[in-house]
Amino acid sequence: MNEDIRTRLVEDAAVIYSGPYLNQLRGERIEMVCQELLDQGVRRIVVNFEETELINSIGISILLGVIESVNNARGGLVLSNVNQSNRELFEMLGLGAHVVMAETEELALLSLTGETVEAMG
Amino acid sequence: MTDLMPRKILSQISSAGLAGRRSEIDAVCALAQSGADESDSWPVSIGLLLGPPRVGKSEILRACFDRLFNQQGEAVPFFHALRRSSLTNEGFARACLSQFLAQFAAFRRNDPRLIESIDHPLATVQRFALPEDYSAVKSVIDSFARAAADRDWAQMVRVAMSAPMLVAVQARLNALVMIDNCDLVLGTDLKAEFTAALAALGSTRSRSASYVLTGLRRPLVNSIPPDQEIFGRTTLIKVERTGDEVVEKFTRIRAQRLGIETSDSTIELMSEQLNRDFFYTSSILEAAASRGVSLKTFIEFERLYTTEVLNGRISHYLDASLREAALDARNVRAALEAIALVNEAGCPVPIDAVAERMGVPDGEGEALLERLHAYELLNLNHGFVSPSGDAVVADYVRAKHRNEITGAQAPVAGQELLGEKLKQSYRLMMSRFNRAVESQLIELLSRFDFQSVPASLFDQDDFEKRYRGVSRVQVRRALDDEVNRVRLPQVVFVHDLGHGEQPGVNWRLFAASGFEGGIYTEANEVLWVIALINSKEPLDVESLNHIDQRLEPSLRSKVGKSGVLSHAVRWYISKEGFSAIAAERLSGAQAYRSSYSHLDLLQDYLTRLALSSTTRPASEFELVIPIEDEAELIAARTAEQIARAADFDQESINQIKTALIEACINAAEHSDSPDRKIHQRFAIDEDKLIITVSNRGKTFGTANGKPAPTVGASRGKSARGRGLQIIRALMDQVEFERTDEGARLVMIKYLKRPSS
Repeated sequence: MNEDIRTRLVEDAAVIYSGPYLNQLRGERIEMVCQELLDQGVRRIVVNFEETELINSIGISILLGVIESVNNARGGLVLSNVNQSNRELFEMLGLGAHVVMAETEELALLSLTGETVEAMG
Repeated sequence: MTDLMPRKILSQISSAGLAGRRSEIDAVCALAQSGADESDSWPVSIGLLLGPPRVGKSEILRACFDRLFNQQGEAVPFFHALRRSSLTNEGFARACLSQFLAQFAAFRRNDPRLIESIDHPLATVQRFALPEDYSAVKSVIDSFARAAADRDWAQMVRVAMSAPMLVAVQARLNALVMIDNCDLVLGTDLKAEFTAALAALGSTRSRSASYVLTGLRRPLVNSIPPDQEIFGRTTLIKVERTGDEVVEKFTRIRAQRLGIETSDSTIELMSEQLNRDFFYTSSILEAAASRGVSLKTFIEFERLYTTEVLNGRISHYLDASLREAALDARNVRAALEAIALVNEAGCPVPIDAVAERMGVPDGEGEALLERLHAYELLNLNHGFVSPSGDAVVADYVRAKHRNEITGAQAPVAGQELLGEKLKQSYRLMMSRFNRAVESQLIELLSRFDFQSVPASLFDQDDFEKRYRGVSRVQVRRALDDEVNRVRLPQVVFVHDLGHGEQPGVNWRLFAASGFEGGIYTEANEVLWVIALINSKEPLDVESLNHIDQRLEPSLRSKVGKSGVLSHAVRWYISKEGFSAIAAERLSGAQAYRSSYSHLDLLQDYLTRLALSSTTRPASEFELVIPIEDEAELIAARTAEQIARAADFDQESINQIKTALIEACINAAEHSDSPDRKIHQRFAIDEDKLIITVSNRGKTFGTANGKPAPTVGASRGKSARGRGLQIIRALMDQVEFERTDEGARLVMIKYLKRPSS
């Protein structure tokens, strides 16, 4: 599987597309891309899960690390387009308090500007 | 001591070569226990180990010797192989007695090296006996010496043959005496004394001895007198040819050991073409090893086969067999003429016609044919001669006859035999597939026993209407709900009515005779005539006509005493189904129409009925994935297909996939499997999917089934250890099991039924 991560810049924000399967390989690539964005001064990041059918526990753990890094850099990271199965997965692992989700990419970007946010729970 | 035969003493081949012979070895060794009842004594039992040539009879006896010797239990083994050089009464008696006493001493001292003392004088052998056995052994040797001094050959043979029993009983042991190549005594002076000695043993009541004889089966069986008592005392142990699976496994192992590259399809072809014969297979493999050639493709195999049959080990072996059967060089040519004639005829030929072709003096021809029959190089039945059915012999004879007798011009390069075999190879592989289906059908027919089964399994159109697009799992569930049923007869026997073919289609015909309604009268007699059809396209009317032409005589011939057959049923089973016109015609004739998949469903159904439970036999699938990046996705996709076919809803399917991915990741992380593979099994039961993931790890990401403690708990690292947490949350039942090879995780997801 091609680990290249599709990324799109929207003004001063970035959207990262996580791909069909978030595992260790893709997770580490996302982590790297995120770090590059942070180094470039991007502080608003959306990770779009529209194509993501499956996530494994290693992918989740890396994602949590990414969220922590963004928070430490005083930025914001929102997950968008998370399907029901993956939402339940996050819930099951008790990660509700650590992730912010939005229905769509647009809403996610808006939320990072301080507009309406759909938080978990 | 276990049955694992840690010491090879007389056995000459590897355990792989003995594969599939466990039951025969057990049966022979069990004879050593017969008559072991302390409270009574029984007539000495005699066993006959019978089977076609090169099926492993000698090696089975040798393996029995090794097993009993290594067990050092209550049974002491004796083995003697008759030789042409020792077929006089005296020669046989001396060789036999020396061997038996040496083996006895070796067994009692648990020292196989003493078996070699056979070449020493009897007095020396006597000294190897244990002190407590000395007097019995000396007594036997003294009896033998007296008989020898009196030149009483018959008594010498009797002493030699009874020696194992006498020495064993003194040691309070049972004797298992195995004698190979017994057919050699026939036609010699030894025969009378040998059979007399056996008869005398047979009438002896002793707790201590059993005798097992083997050799060429036809002359052995023919030599048994029609005596009810003898038949009552004789145990027949049949050794049949092993199955494809056993031979193919042997071939793979042997090829690997010899460093020969093979492929699955070539191994299957070898098994088919060599008729699952270990000797032929070993010859080919050894030839490949010595020439440094591979056996990956059909042509590589056929080239080597051609060479072996024309001028290799197989050729030399068959040369020797012919010489032995023919007894002299002139008769070898006559033998070749006879075998070539019947092979070419393809049908039984009158003995007179064959004898005439052989060109030997009157009377000698029939005698030669009898010997060829004994060696199973051809078959004699009621005045007719037919081929042996050994395709390798047929190829050998055809080539030899062509090259050496008819003097046909040889090609300037290559061999005609190679061309013939290449053409046949495809047909052989198809016949292998056909054979599997035929076996399945015959086994199925044998199970017909008044069961009531869904009618759609005999009406392909109805089946298609009901179940088009429905998964097999759902079909199996729905069959129970069918109202229309067919009551099967009780099948008593099944006849093979032969086969036929047309371009693109071949078929085999069977007739299953039985009774309906549980009443055994002529009125309730029924005949099912069955056409099993293999074709690339749906069966057309023209092919159907050909099949029916073959079926009609069978229907006409199967009549009762009244001259009328009460009830005949036609059943057409076609791999690719039927054309519309053919289906309509068969429907009009009220014939049953099924496909091969219906046979599977019928088999499942009958199995379920036989189990008399509501539990349907589970469908099982196995998957092996390598431990490499994202291989777990393949497993997830497979699980998705299986779960979808089993009617799981999408939510459950997602949960199953996620859980399976976690299981695979765990298996990969904790596995120390040298093959770097993860094994999975998916079993669909009536209301659940059971997934088993196995590895050879010491753990499965767990310590005694609990999640393994993680070290250095940062938030990132802690989530890595949550695979089992996810699995337990998503699946309904999770069990961790340790196995001999590693660990196994069993996950069960129950099917959610819609609430009524």
